[in-house]
Amino acid sequence: MTPAMRIEHLVILLAEDDDGHASLIRRNLKRAGFVNEIVRVRDGQEALDYVRGEGAFAARPPDAPLLLLLDINMPKVDGVGVLKAIKAEPKLARLPVIMLTTTDDPREVDRCYGLGCSVYITKPVQYQDFVDALTRLGMFLEIIQVPGREPT
Amino acid sequence: MSRSPAAPPSAVPPERMAEILDIAEDGVVTVDRDRRIVLFNRGAAKIFGYHPAEVLGRPLEDLLPERYRPAHPAQVASFAGGPDVSRVMGERRLVFGRRQDGTEFPAEVTISKLEGVGGTLLTAIVRDGTARKKYEDALKRLNQELEERVRERTAELADRNLRLAQKNEENETFVYSVSHDLRSPLVNLEGFSEELALSLRDLTRLLADDRIPADVRARAAGLVGEAMPESVAFIRAAVTRLSRIIDALLRLSRAGRVEYQPQPVDVAGVVRRVADALHATATEKQAEVAIGELPPAWGDPTAVEQVFANLLGNALNYLDPARPGRVEVGAGSDGEAGRTYFVRDNGLGIPDAHRAKMFQAFQRLHPDKAAGEGMGLTIVRRILERLGGTIRVESAPRAGTTFFVTLPAGPPDRAARPGPQP
Repeated sequence: MTPAMRIEHLVILLAEDDDGHASLIRRNLKRAGFVNEIVRVRDGQEALDYVRGEGAFAARPPDAPLLLLLDINMPKVDGVGVLKAIKAEPKLARLPVIMLTTTDDPREVDRCYGLGCSVYITKPVQYQDFVDALTRLGMFLEIIQVPGREPT
Repeated sequence: MSRSPAAPPSAVPPERMAEILDIAEDGVVTVDRDRRIVLFNRGAAKIFGYHPAEVLGRPLEDLLPERYRPAHPAQVASFAGGPDVSRVMGERRLVFGRRQDGTEFPAEVTISKLEGVGGTLLTAIVRDGTARKKYEDALKRLNQELEERVRERTAELADRNLRLAQKNEENETFVYSVSHDLRSPLVNLEGFSEELALSLRDLTRLLADDRIPADVRARAAGLVGEAMPESVAFIRAAVTRLSRIIDALLRLSRAGRVEYQPQPVDVAGVVRRVADALHATATEKQAEVAIGELPPAWGDPTAVEQVFANLLGNALNYLDPARPGRVEVGAGSDGEAGRTYFVRDNGLGIPDAHRAKMFQAFQRLHPDKAAGEGMGLTIVRRILERLGGTIRVESAPRAGTTFFVTLPAGPPDRAARPGPQP
């Protein structure tokens, strides 16, 4: 990744099995002014394939800056499974991950933060909060991607 | 045993005494120092099946089962040489006699020792204990059966309790997953009705365009200005309502599932916090909240706070506008169940007809008085059930309501009350 990375260059990987939810998220991101490319996958396995550049996504440009929006309830590998897998791979562990789910069960929230997700957002999404979180994450990305200033 | 005080001189002549002894139902067997039988009354004859003539002069051991014979002479010698004048045999273990026909019987025996000119005389008074032993055995068996049955019933009850607890847990898990699944389509309903509202706004702006013929605009205005917003408003109201119901169900299932951290709870502090949080409501309703002395209890502080937040909230929400509101929180005397607290109001009260349903889910008595789903008291009761407490209510319509809550004073006795494992 280049030091001059900005939030506009970020690809948002949206892993969401519900078409309606995916559409709502796209519309709201667009309305909030995000022009980022949004790649949508329908389950956790596809999400993992994408971040690893494997399977159907073997041809994707490597090292594209990525932000993950993960639904928790997905077929095959669920969102928590994806989160775990990513955090277990040193190459991927620093990817920012936003968990999106319909449950605000404190245990589920704690579990996701414990596994290292960046933000946990409960559906129905308050889109303004969502956009604020994304913007904050964008700034966070700019900071951590300046070489030599990586937090220890 | 000590010698009893000397008996007063008997009116019965000595020869009659021998007769009395002879006809007694109890067996009387006397032996000399060499354990030879010197007296064998009719009772003994009946019990052992010997004619006295058959046994007189024979060793006492003839009247014992063979397995007891070798040790017997030493035991007799010990008694003969010992300090006791009389003794009950078989106090520690059952003793047995042997009949003439070789059969054995349990015997109740007392022995006594008389020393005199003719040397030492040892007498055994023998009673056949067969019948008594039979009763005792039967009693013992009955007792064992009873104990066994009590054990079985206890185990059954414990099992049933466990199954009920599991059932409850299953229900809560079911409610949880159903409400959770319902949320997903609801997110779409909510999101897309919002989208529709936004589209409608844009459409309204587009229709303001002069290039559109006036009559089309007029007809469209009816659609985008009235019919469509009304439809959207109804959908959104329904979605909000559904969403609240689902949230209430989730709260209920969570009340049964969330892990508790039992510890001493400063109930006074908890109630103060609750009252502070409700201060604005109380001020708005011009109600007075009085808090008395509240002893600490044992439970999960968050859960206990939920209980009092709900009860105080209800008390403030359902005051009677006809009189100045007053809510009182206090403690009653400790009962068997532990601490007793009450939350008393002078509000609208609860009619008897509603009393039975008031702890059921989705039951609302005064839906017009405050927002809610009718889940509060259901959750309160569930929480108290899990904390090992109780709740009951006393109420008079138009006079007020008092909720009595009990909470354990200390940790449960694990042996006496094995609570459901989390």
